[in-house]
Amino acid sequence: MKFYYVTFRSVTHGQRGEKLLTNENIRCHLLRTPKWMEVKGCGYSLRIWTEDINLPVALLRGNHVPMQRVYIQTPEGTLEEMNL
Amino acid sequence: MTYLDFGATSLRKPRQVGEAVRWAMEHCANPGRGGYGAAMEAARVVFDCRERAGKLFDCEPEQVVFTANCTHGLNIAIRSLVQPGDRVVISGFEHNAVTRPLHALGAEWMVAGRKLFDWEDTLSRFEDALKQRPKAAVFTHVSNVFGYILPVEQMAALCRDRGIPFIVDAAQSAGSIPVSLKKLGAEFIAMPGHKGLLGPQGTGLLLCGREGTPLLAGGTGSDSRLQDMPEYLPERLEAGTVNVPGIAGLSAGLDFIKRAGIENIGLREHREAARCAGDLRKLGCKVFSGPHQAGTVSFLPEGDCEEASEALGRRGIALRAGLHCAPLAHESAGTLETGTVRVSFGWNANAQQTRKLLTAVSKQMGQKS
Repeated sequence: MKFYYVTFRSVTHGQRGEKLLTNENIRCHLLRTPKWMEVKGCGYSLRIWTEDINLPVALLRGNHVPMQRVYIQTPEGTLEEMNL
Repeated sequence: MTYLDFGATSLRKPRQVGEAVRWAMEHCANPGRGGYGAAMEAARVVFDCRERAGKLFDCEPEQVVFTANCTHGLNIAIRSLVQPGDRVVISGFEHNAVTRPLHALGAEWMVAGRKLFDWEDTLSRFEDALKQRPKAAVFTHVSNVFGYILPVEQMAALCRDRGIPFIVDAAQSAGSIPVSLKKLGAEFIAMPGHKGLLGPQGTGLLLCGREGTPLLAGGTGSDSRLQDMPEYLPERLEAGTVNVPGIAGLSAGLDFIKRAGIENIGLREHREAARCAGDLRKLGCKVFSGPHQAGTVSFLPEGDCEEASEALGRRGIALRAGLHCAPLAHESAGTLETGTVRVSFGWNANAQQTRKLLTAVSKQMGQKS
């Protein structure tokens, strides 16, 4: 299982995303965005456990949940931004 | 006390509402600001309420903006659409919550439709006024004085067909009559949380069909590096900490309404108002009633309306008299000089309330004659 971060500017957007993914049985957790990831200052992220990030991202996009960036945790434990 | 002033606020609320307020006061920190348990719990409470409101009023959770009351929401909505000097169409039954913000902005308004309970008049006058190409239209769903249910769906369609943005004041309808942001296609729908939605005072909802112009600027817990307010909802219109205990109570109120059914509540209120109107008329009062009436009835007592209301208050009946912050509506009905006594039923409307009111009015009239 890999894990990812999807960042949001609004806690409400993050909450909508969390509900949407949880309803699809995709394990995720809403938390504050780590400081180094934020672009405009203060936001929330979904930490997502999944084999394929394309499905959650498609769900979020398909349901018009505005998101910012997607990060993947590398085998070394660092986080890298993804272009999806 | 027999409380019949639900048009002002729902003094009698389901037990769960107070319990939710107290729970939130003891368990919720600031929503959207922190990541620890109590802050996230507050965020959950707030989101649950947005989601419940969104389901009830047919919109997405982020289109639900929390306000302090309906007037607050109307001010945001009006300032989002109207500039000084603009012409705006309003109905003949608007509250000061609509006319005072327009006046403060220096907007001109055209009053369209003044006949009570007459959809043909309301619609034909409204359509005529739209030919003047106003910048926007603002209309109430239900008159707070007379309970007249305006034909908002048809009025909305007239606006949409002409590309005129509009605002609906759902102060007296939310919780009693179905309201759909999607179906109406309104730019904004404003409503209080503490009347038909059964929440605490200090709560309100603004349903947003567009982003809108912030009335306040300040912290939102997001985009903190930027000095402009966020361009997205709901943060754009929610500067500062929201009223979490109030929102928790409102959420419990929304849940109660969903379980009871809006149509059932509205029918109950309407049925009692109709019974009340008939009985008051039998007593010899001048009563304002007709088709398209919600759970509110106005009547003219013998003598001064405020004195009559006070006397009824001493007999245990809580009513509101005077102009009800709606001089325009009274002007339309020809009661600007006399005012009226207003009976407004709520979710717990029942025949016993009407009987008690009628007994008190009857005794009062007997004492005077």
